[in-house]
Amino acid sequence: MASANIKDVKRRIKSVESTMQITKAMELVASSKLRRAKERAAQSQPYFNTLYSTMKNIANDSGFKGIVTDLKERHALVIAIAGDRGLAGGFNHNVLKLSLERIKALESEGFKVSVMPVGKKAVEFFHRYNYPVYMEFMQVAETITAYDCIELSEQLVKKYTRGEFGAIELCYTTFVNTLSQVAKSVRVLPLSFDEQTEDKDDKQKDENGGKGYKAEVLYDPSPEEVFKLLLPKYVAGIYYGAVVDSYAAEQAARRTAMESASDNAQEMIDNLSLLYNRARQAQITQELTEIVSGSIKNSD
Amino acid sequence: MNSYKLKIITPEKIFFDGEVTQIVVRTSEGNAGFLSGHIDYVSNVVSGPLKVRETDEKKYRTAALSDGIIIVSGGDITILPEAAEWSDEIDLARAERAKKVAEEKIKSSKKSDSEFDMAQVKLKRALARISVYNQTHSEH
Repeated sequence: MASANIKDVKRRIKSVESTMQITKAMELVASSKLRRAKERAAQSQPYFNTLYSTMKNIANDSGFKGIVTDLKERHALVIAIAGDRGLAGGFNHNVLKLSLERIKALESEGFKVSVMPVGKKAVEFFHRYNYPVYMEFMQVAETITAYDCIELSEQLVKKYTRGEFGAIELCYTTFVNTLSQVAKSVRVLPLSFDEQTEDKDDKQKDENGGKGYKAEVLYDPSPEEVFKLLLPKYVAGIYYGAVVDSYAAEQAARRTAMESASDNAQEMIDNLSLLYNRARQAQITQELTEIVSGSIKNSD
Repeated sequence: MNSYKLKIITPEKIFFDGEVTQIVVRTSEGNAGFLSGHIDYVSNVVSGPLKVRETDEKKYRTAALSDGIIIVSGGDITILPEAAEWSDEIDLARAERAKKVAEEKIKSSKKSDSEFDMAQVKLKRALARISVYNQTHSEH
């Protein structure tokens, strides 16, 4: 019986060891992918930052009138960005739970909601819950380029300016640091800048009140035309930023999850080796006892 | 001639950052030249050539830009194109290929408007590249 026990323990140690090899490898892969994702996010920062500040200036310009057709249709789009794979702790679950909450909130505001899931886990999730899916993307996060995003957001913005979508929201996970990733949602459209919300009413007030501005900027041919060109690029910037951010967060989450999995495996191996050694010792002791008692019998 | 700072930033990288004395860029209203001391100005840039005269240089450097905006602020100029290439870096074969693909898409386009628009943008971009390439290579 003792030897069977030893065999079992040995087999378990082996299996835990090979699991640990996998989790270790995944941890390393995740941390190198994380580094690359962070670099990628930094690369396009200057472009989109300049876009953003220009948009803000135009929106605050006294001569600017909105370009959006009035929205009679109460239709909203929620873009939910999750991972393509699991084994990343609560990463996928947290962001999907949040997007579900946002959908419920928008529905209670009277919106008809469509979703645009990004990432395999998100796509599967919303199909399971039978939500109307506007478009879906899988396996894009790792190779996405800013140009892909601009193409996509041109379609979205067209829908928005025609009034087919009254609001677009984005749910994704932001990378705080390697240990902490937070799921959050942002309102992409209608626009809201830090200082003021750019709703129609707000603009109306601005035009009448006429706040003090710095030197007038000349917009050619008009602020609206420039704004029209900028808007899709701006949305693309947010979307691209979110996809890359979420990808970085996914890698960080996976790294942490795999790190603790490796730790747990190590702990299990330690416990099992203790068990194994004890069993082995017991077996040796028993064999000794048998030999000794046998020799005592023989000498008698 | 007085110089000013020019920055060209694409989503991929900072394409150019330096002192220049004059640039000519194609805006939605036509080609426009910028010298130093320009008033604050923002305009749409359409796919086309960009000419840059750096300080102490008699000749222009030419690049192909695709759509974006140009921002003049406080005398400095920032251009945000979707893509930019110096004339000597243009891959003519690739541009020709892109042109062909875009043309076929436009011809076969009983599809959605957005696809048509997208193909048109791509065609313009490819044409801009090709024309910039041909211009600079015929000069030499």
